[in-house]
Amino acid sequence: MFGRIFYYKIKELMRSYWLIGWNFLFPLVLATAFYLGFGRMMTDDPEFFHTIPVGYIVSEDVTEENAAFLDVLAELTKEREDDVAVLKTTEYDDREAAIAAMNANRISGIYIIGADIETIVAKNSISASTLNQIVRTYENHATTLINIAKDHPESLQKAMDLLSEENTYIKEHTFQRETSAYMQYFYALLAMTALFSSWISTVILEGICANKSESGKRFEVSGAGKLSSIGAGLLAGLLLQCLSNTVVICYIEYVLKLSFGMPIWCVMLVTTLGSGVGISVGCLMGSLIKNPALLVVVPLAFSMVCSFFSGLMWGNIKQILEYHCPIVNRINPAALVTDCLYIRSTYGATPMYYQNLVILAAITVGAMLLSSLILRRRNYVSL
Amino acid sequence: MNEKVIQIDQLVKRYGENVAVDHFHLEVYDGEILGLLGPNGSGKTTTINCLLSLLQYDKGDIRIFGKEMRPEAYDIKNQIGVVMQNVAVVDTLNVYENVDFFCGLYVGDKKLRKQYVEEALEFTGLTDYKKYKPKKLSGGLLRRLNIACGIAHKPKLIIFDEPTVAVDPQSRNAILEGIKKMNRDGATVIYTSHYMEEVEELCSRIVIMDHGKNVANGTATELKATLMNRETIRIGLPEKTESVLQGLSEINHVYKVKIDGDDVVIKCDGGDHNLVHVLSYLTDQNVPFGRVSTELPTLNDVFLEITGKELRD
Repeated sequence: MFGRIFYYKIKELMRSYWLIGWNFLFPLVLATAFYLGFGRMMTDDPEFFHTIPVGYIVSEDVTEENAAFLDVLAELTKEREDDVAVLKTTEYDDREAAIAAMNANRISGIYIIGADIETIVAKNSISASTLNQIVRTYENHATTLINIAKDHPESLQKAMDLLSEENTYIKEHTFQRETSAYMQYFYALLAMTALFSSWISTVILEGICANKSESGKRFEVSGAGKLSSIGAGLLAGLLLQCLSNTVVICYIEYVLKLSFGMPIWCVMLVTTLGSGVGISVGCLMGSLIKNPALLVVVPLAFSMVCSFFSGLMWGNIKQILEYHCPIVNRINPAALVTDCLYIRSTYGATPMYYQNLVILAAITVGAMLLSSLILRRRNYVSL
Repeated sequence: MNEKVIQIDQLVKRYGENVAVDHFHLEVYDGEILGLLGPNGSGKTTTINCLLSLLQYDKGDIRIFGKEMRPEAYDIKNQIGVVMQNVAVVDTLNVYENVDFFCGLYVGDKKLRKQYVEEALEFTGLTDYKKYKPKKLSGGLLRRLNIACGIAHKPKLIIFDEPTVAVDPQSRNAILEGIKKMNRDGATVIYTSHYMEEVEELCSRIVIMDHGKNVANGTATELKATLMNRETIRIGLPEKTESVLQGLSEINHVYKVKIDGDDVVIKCDGGDHNLVHVLSYLTDQNVPFGRVSTELPTLNDVFLEITGKELRD
C-alpha cells in the first residue's frame, strides 16, 4: 500500500505544471538571472582566486638582495593547503618575448629583476594588484632586514624568523578556495528552492485529508491507513524536491561553472535537510489550514519570506538581523541553510556548521511530530 | 428477513446550535437498494459522512456488518464503496491510473487489482478512454469515472450520493442499469438522489429524511398509500352546472371536485375503477364530456406531501 501510494504520488507530482514550474524551472531562471547580474563581479571578485601566470626576467645588473626575490617566487609557485598556487612563473630571456607573451594573454604580468624590481602589468585588475602587492611586501621585508642588520645586527636572525613566521605573501592573499562572496545569493536561492517543498506537502495533504478535498474523502473512507498514506506522499514529495535541488545545484556548478567551494554531496546534504524542513513545516501548515486558497498562498509566502530574510533579494538583511534580532537567523530555516553552505565553503566543517544542521533536523522532527498529532485525529467536527 | 448490513440508532449530529441529524434511525438489509431522499439540508450527506466515520457525531450508535463503525475500522471500510456527490478523481492521472490508484487502496494483489480495474472500466463503459485525463472527459464520462473509482474493488456495500447530477439521459440510464447489476451481483446499495423517478425505478425501499429525522420509510407503493389523494381524474366538461358538480362529489371515494379552466378535476381517496364510476354517472345524466385523463400519485407527490412545498436552502 505504502509503495503504491508513493508511486502514484510521484506520478501525480511529476505531472503537475506548478511543480515543474515553481520547483524546477523557477530556480533555474533565477540562478541564470543572478549569474547574468553578478557574473562579471563574481569572476572579478577579490575572493575568487585563480593562480596568476607571471613572467620574469633576471637582468645582468641584478643585486644580491633582489636575487633573493627569485626564492620568493619559487615559494609562491608551490601549492597551498587549498591546492592552489599563488603564481605560475615563466622565465624569459628578454623583455620583448615577455611582453609578447603578456599581450597574447599567456601571462598577467612581468617582473624584471635587476638593481630594482620592475613590475609590468597588462591592465588594472585583481591579478595586477596581487603582483604589485607581492613586490611591495618583498621590498618592505628586505628594507626592514637591511635596517636591522645595520642598526641591530644581533637581532637579525630573530627578525628573519618573525618575518618568516608571518608568511605575509600567503596571508595577504588568503583566498578561500574558489568561492565568491556573491555565492551567498546562490545559497539563498538553494534555500528558497528547498523550502518550496512546503508547497508540495500541502498539495499532498489536500489529496489525502477528507476536510480538504473530495478525493481526500475518498481516501479517508478507504482501508488505507491515514498516517502511512501521508508518510508515503511526503516521502514522494521529498524525493522530488531533492531531485529539483540536484538539478539546480548541478546547473550552478556545471553549467554556470560557479564553484560552491565544497563537494557536491555536502551541498546536497544541506539542501536535503532544508527540504526536510520545508516538507515538515508544509505538513504542519496543511494540517492547520482548511481554506484551499491558503494552502497555496501560505507555503509560498513562508518560502519567500524566509528566503528574503536569508539574503535572497538583499544581501545585508542577514547582518542587520544578526545585529538587531539574532534569534531570527537561528530559527529561519533559509538562513540556516545559507549559513551552513557559507560556513562549509569558507571555514569547513566547523561546530557552527554542525549546530545549524542539527537545528534544521530538529525543526523537521518537531514539525513532523506536531503534524502527526494533529493529523492522527481520524474524523472531523465538520467537512 | 435478510441480515442487517447497517444499523443506525438515535444518531444526533449538531453544528453549534443547529441540529443537522436528530435522533435518526435507519436499518439497511443485505441485498436491498435503499433510496435515501430528502430536501436540501435535510441531513442526508451529514448522515452518510457520520456513517463513514468521516464526521464526529454527538450521540448514537452506528454498526456496519454487525460491527461498530469507527474511523480505524479498516476491515469494515475495505468492504464499502463510496461514489461521492462531487467528482473525486486525480486530475493528473489518466482514467486507468485513477481507477487503479483508488482500487489499490483496497486491493494489494497486483494481478487481482488489474482484473478488477479492467472490469470496472468495462462496467462503466470507459475501456476506450483508458488513456484520457479527466479534463478531457465529458460530464457523463467523468461521472462514470467517479463511479468506477468507487466500485472497482467490488465492495459489499456501496453508497451512491447523487451520482446522476448533471448527466445526460443515456449516461443516467447506463448508471442506473449498472447499479441494478451490482445489486444483482450481491451488493447492498444506498442511493441518494433528488430524481424521484430514478429512486422509484431503482429502490426496493425508500427512507425520506427531513430536518435530520426519518419521516417516512417503506416501498414506493407503501409510501404512495399514505397519501389521501390516490387518483386524480380530469374531464373536459362544457356544462359545469351546480347539480353535475354536486353529483360528481357524491360518487364513492370522491373527496374533492374543482373547476380548472375548461376541465373539472376530481380527486379520489382510494377505491377501484373510479374513472368508470365517474363516466357512468355523466352518461346516465346525459352530460356531454370531452377528453378524459387520469393520474395516479407519484413519489414526487409523496415527497412534497411529507416535506412540504416551501423552498429550501
